[in-house]
Amino acid sequence: MSPIINAVIPFLAALGLLLFNGVVMIWMLRKVLGFLHLRLGPMVQGPHGVFQTLFDVLKLLSKEDITPRKVDKVLFFLAPAIVFVPSLMAYMIIPFSETWVVADLDLGLLFVFAIMSLIPLGILAAGWSSNNKWSLIGAMRVIGAQITYEVPMLLAAIPIVIMAGSMNMGDIVDAQSQIWFIIHVPAFLLFFIAGLIESGQTPFDLIEAESELVSGYATEYSAMKFGLLFLSEFSNTFIFSALLVTLFFGGWHGGFGIVPAPVVFMLKTYIGIFIIMTIRGTMPRVRVDNLLAIGWKFLLPASLVVIILTAAIIKVFPVFSGGAL
Amino acid sequence: MKRLYGWGIVRSMFIAYKNLFRKKITVQYPFKKLTLPERARWAVEPIFNEAGETKCTACLICERACPDFIIKIDTHTDEDKTKHIDAWNYDIGACMMCGLCVEACPFDAIQMGHNYELARTDPSTLSIKLLEGVLASKGKQRPAAPANIDKPEEKPAEKGGLDG
Repeated sequence: MSPIINAVIPFLAALGLLLFNGVVMIWMLRKVLGFLHLRLGPMVQGPHGVFQTLFDVLKLLSKEDITPRKVDKVLFFLAPAIVFVPSLMAYMIIPFSETWVVADLDLGLLFVFAIMSLIPLGILAAGWSSNNKWSLIGAMRVIGAQITYEVPMLLAAIPIVIMAGSMNMGDIVDAQSQIWFIIHVPAFLLFFIAGLIESGQTPFDLIEAESELVSGYATEYSAMKFGLLFLSEFSNTFIFSALLVTLFFGGWHGGFGIVPAPVVFMLKTYIGIFIIMTIRGTMPRVRVDNLLAIGWKFLLPASLVVIILTAAIIKVFPVFSGGAL
Repeated sequence: MKRLYGWGIVRSMFIAYKNLFRKKITVQYPFKKLTLPERARWAVEPIFNEAGETKCTACLICERACPDFIIKIDTHTDEDKTKHIDAWNYDIGACMMCGLCVEACPFDAIQMGHNYELARTDPSTLSIKLLEGVLASKGKQRPAAPANIDKPEEKPAEKGGLDG
């Protein structure tokens, strides 16, 4: 095969997986929220409504793509792409098995954080160009929240890097072949809370905040541009859950040699998504000032303390074979 | 001050997971319908007797009882002294389903129905005729109350009492 085809096929596979995940997760969200509310959720299209999202995507594709008159046309057109592309690129380093990874980067973990920090830029572009106060407030909240929480999220991942001795996602999973890093509970909790905010999930979904901000930065968008923004949000949730599985729950390990590694990985990821969705159906939203206060006053110092303690403990008791220290 | 340790978060998640397995309270509406309580009040329906004839005598009590003035009964009497209901007009669009006409009806000729699918695409169909061109019922033939001709002096006495 020519190198171009070799390069394009994994990319297309990642794109297909992203779209598939989006469709499945939207259906799953409706079902989970419905069951939490003692409702049935979608039931008509196909058995238990599994084709509902498919029809919704068709609807989005066939709708008129409206560009409001007073928007900044260039930015308005570009913003969904700026939001969507990082979501897609983050799929490149997710290790589904030892060999199933598109780009096996040495600094894979850093790459995820770097590329995910581009998303607020796109969201700000969407909110700013929309010429709409709700969009702008939503976008500003994104900037506030994401800048606040990127730091603790990255810092909460560093203890894992210390324990694994590498930033390569494959190496991190390999280091968990004996025992999963979930034993480092404080790092997990910090990472989980910061990640919920990163991926814009309740109780920290201030960027959307349907009851306050119409639909946040996506208010003025319609048709497939809205679809891209929406898809990117779900894809971020998937990436966050995949990161959780990779960093804390042993990645593809745990199939006992019977279940194939990618299946194990996907199963764990979807369990993570399920838990995130049940949190979304249960918890009320926090206030903006509380959100920022939690970030700066608690998560940031706590993650620093956790890093220092982890480093000290690893230095004194070299349990893990990673040779970072 | 009472210390909070965040157990409420754990408890709320526990309740949420319990909810996942509880019986669902909604039904698939167009395919499955809930049975309404017996005294649910929706649009007014006429009641017919075993022979399929209306029990309405066109006494117009319901028309007077209606607070929305949406019941209008058109009648005429033939030469052979039979009373006919030309139209029992009823405006669903303005009906507030208070049930006062049903309470007022002395012949049990109408009831509050259980048909709640009242939405119409054409507003002109909101005014309907419950009965059209039927013979009015003669009503229950009650024996006439005994006339007071035996003691005509009672009435003036009462009147006098009231005046006094």
